[in-house]
Amino acid sequence: MTSSKTREAVADRRDQYAFHDDIAYLKETKRGLTRDTVEEISAFKNEPDWMLQSRLRAYDHFLKRPMPMWTDGLDKIDFDKIVYYRKPSEREEKSWDDVPEQIKATFEKLGIPEAERKFLAGVGAQYDSEVVYHSVKEELSKLGVVFMGTDQGLIEYPEIFRKYYGTVVPHEDNKFSALNGAVWSGGSFVYVPKGVEVPLPLQAYFRINGENTGQFERTLIVVDEGAKVHYIEGCTAPIYATDSLHVAVVEVIALPGSKVRYTTIQNWSNDVYNLVTKRAHAHRDATVEWIDANTGSRKTVKFPSIYLRGENASADIISVAVAGKGQHQDTGAKAIHLAKNTTSRIVSKSVSKDGGRATYRGQLKVSPGATGVVASVRCDALMLDDESRSDTYPYIDIQEDDTTMTHEATVGKISADQIFYLMSRGLTENEAQNLVIQGFLEVFTKELPMEYAIEFNRLVKLEMEGSLG
Amino acid sequence: MTSTSAPKEAVPASNTDSAATLDRPARTPRRSPTDLSFVLDEADVTARAANEPDWLAADRRDALERYRSLPIESNQLYTPYVDLRPAELGDVRVYPLPGGPPLGAASAADLPAGAVALARFDEDKVSAISLDATARDAGVTVETLGSLIGRDAQLARRLIGGAGLPGDDRLAQLTRAAWNQGVVIRVPKGVRLDRPILVRWAAGAADRAIFSRTIVELGERAAASIVEEFVPSSASDEGPDSGQALFTSTFEAHLGAEAELAVASIQDFGPRQVLFQHRTAAIGEGASLHWALAQLGSRLVRSRVDNRLEGDRSSVEQVEIVFGTGEQLFDLTSYTLHLGRDTTGNLLSKGALLDRARSYMKGLITIEKSAVGTDSFLGEFGMNLSKATRAVAIPSLEIDQPDCRRAAHSSSVGPIDANQLFYLESRGIAPDEARKFIVLGFLEPVVARVPLEAAQERLRELLEEKWAAGADGTAGSAGAAA
Repeated sequence: MTSSKTREAVADRRDQYAFHDDIAYLKETKRGLTRDTVEEISAFKNEPDWMLQSRLRAYDHFLKRPMPMWTDGLDKIDFDKIVYYRKPSEREEKSWDDVPEQIKATFEKLGIPEAERKFLAGVGAQYDSEVVYHSVKEELSKLGVVFMGTDQGLIEYPEIFRKYYGTVVPHEDNKFSALNGAVWSGGSFVYVPKGVEVPLPLQAYFRINGENTGQFERTLIVVDEGAKVHYIEGCTAPIYATDSLHVAVVEVIALPGSKVRYTTIQNWSNDVYNLVTKRAHAHRDATVEWIDANTGSRKTVKFPSIYLRGENASADIISVAVAGKGQHQDTGAKAIHLAKNTTSRIVSKSVSKDGGRATYRGQLKVSPGATGVVASVRCDALMLDDESRSDTYPYIDIQEDDTTMTHEATVGKISADQIFYLMSRGLTENEAQNLVIQGFLEVFTKELPMEYAIEFNRLVKLEMEGSLG
Repeated sequence: MTSTSAPKEAVPASNTDSAATLDRPARTPRRSPTDLSFVLDEADVTARAANEPDWLAADRRDALERYRSLPIESNQLYTPYVDLRPAELGDVRVYPLPGGPPLGAASAADLPAGAVALARFDEDKVSAISLDATARDAGVTVETLGSLIGRDAQLARRLIGGAGLPGDDRLAQLTRAAWNQGVVIRVPKGVRLDRPILVRWAAGAADRAIFSRTIVELGERAAASIVEEFVPSSASDEGPDSGQALFTSTFEAHLGAEAELAVASIQDFGPRQVLFQHRTAAIGEGASLHWALAQLGSRLVRSRVDNRLEGDRSSVEQVEIVFGTGEQLFDLTSYTLHLGRDTTGNLLSKGALLDRARSYMKGLITIEKSAVGTDSFLGEFGMNLSKATRAVAIPSLEIDQPDCRRAAHSSSVGPIDANQLFYLESRGIAPDEARKFIVLGFLEPVVARVPLEAAQERLRELLEEKWAAGADGTAGSAGAAA
């Protein structure tokens, strides 16, 4: 690689992602959260009564639940400053041509149409709190695959929706799942029928637009017996000075023999609190994979979890975090073994720099009755300078006598030998560091579709430039 | 300690309702896991303080204040893994003040073979304190806290003032407020003891509480080894219906530059004992500390070790084993704080569990910004030998200084290795015997580190007895069949 080429590759394209369109919001709630806000949201959406009741139950729990104290800084969130619901256009759009010009321009910057032309099966782009653009390729419709906004899913597939909604992440799970349960809007609803293998990844872009806009999407993915699907979400957001809040809940139900992969590249702007509850139930012989990267946000608290509920189910979680200046990535993974002969693998890689803080927090639990479990956890952290911080908090709880569990963790800096070697081959110090970091994160990158891998490497380079350039 | 433990949670609804706890047959079924069933008689603390120097009375009062306001677990990382329910201490009372000379001096006794000094306590009495004449002439002292206070107020104030005990730990503050027994061991600059000092605590009388402190100070280049034994006393009642006994202990070590201290501890209290332990060490420049800790006895053990690597090139090695059977719960936390440059921490915890025994092993390595060149390793390993056992491991790292030689932890939980078993059986060893070899081998690292031959032999026997008792029942061999 020549240095001029590298320079081009790491050119600062951040402003491409930093934009803010002036949208005339058609409907939005007042700042702050009250019982009225919750009722208003439900009324805007013409929801069935059970959903309103469910929202109110979640709201009550949100008020009752104390703020978690095991991670810091959440007390800085001012819930009264947030707008909990904003609707950018009146109805869901099926065709690209119908999408309002201004929003379309935003998506052009994100490159959605090209991506779609290339290989995407469907696009659910979330603009603030509503799905405005959505298309599912005809072949998928023919296969019976459902991929739509969650609000639409609630109306069009009430049986599936009600059967699974809130069963994986109950409102009472934590303070933020309760908040999401009260004010959720948008997100993806996916149903893959028995035995159907979705040939291409389903992809959704999520964006926050608007200062102090909360974004509370709810994603529900049901994969029926023997079916197979890969879902991808990537996030970009405009940069603002005051704090934004993103509180999402993702529920995945992997029915017997199915296979689900859920890939996330999280790149919120550095003013966003990103507090996400992601959890999957893996039934008998099912496989669930979370491939999760966090580079953006001011603070992310997210531990993708898999409950292994059926025999021979397996879990694979790859979690990657890059924490730069002013950022705290409090991320990790959980594997809860509830059935016999289940397996799990957790790999976590973090990079902290410029005073950033990367925390791995994870749980591995083997419940009584879950015999023959094999589990492994591997956490590695790179710290690029003295100002940064790295923490590792693994929780291992084994309640069986024949579990095979191993856990390893290391923290350190980039080896001077590696840098020296690469520089002796003609790379600059920055290039050498970039290369080492890319190698360190490769366990994640190699799991991505090519376009995403390229974009992710570019993101990491941009992150690194701040300190290395 | 951790920035994640920001504001303290209020103490959960507590144990002021002594009427309910006195009624033993009708035990309150739904006690909170964080509820300490013990009711401290604060009048007793005040009465003790009345006869003591002002600074000590003030120290007790400060501790009492903290004890009242602190939660049982102030580190938010570990709050999900607290369970004090096995302790039923509602009837437990501190020994009354006039019951013998608890703080006083004791008669001399013959030294056990191979030991340089002996301090022996039996319930609330000091039963023996003796010291080899050569060591005494070299300036070594072994005495009770009461004796030290009477003899040298200034020194007593420096050593006993409880600032070294963790200020955020409710149980440590309980001991600091209410201590009624204790021993101080001092080895002056340059003195190197070639034989160990034996400190033996016997306790277990039903419904009695003993709060003890052990304070050890090594001057520059001093060297010593200490064997601590915790054994059931003759008053110990082991029947399942007898009242529980409470014992708290500290081990407060101060190591001067280049000092070397080895501590071996064997805890084999009776089955009705509840034990709270706090060990703290301030380790000076180039000094080294070795802990070898064996936890075998008691109904409930909650223990915490705080290693402070203050001096450059200081080091700590901590090896801890747990062998749990029946309903035992071992709740062990260790904090290792790297402050100096080029410090070394090597921590290894191993637990073998039978029946329904539980172990919670929590460890936190903290590498501060000042600690350049740290080498720190934390290993937590478990062997669950019965289906109903539970092993929890939380080996954590908080790192502010990346320029380290090593910062790592490792953990595993698994059954007895089938290959090892097969190998031993192929050599003609019966399966039960082979299993015993593997389990005792797993726990051997602590046994090998006990310096006093008799104590080492005793620990080996205790482990074998415990294995035999466990293996007789459902546990040992039934686990093998699974």
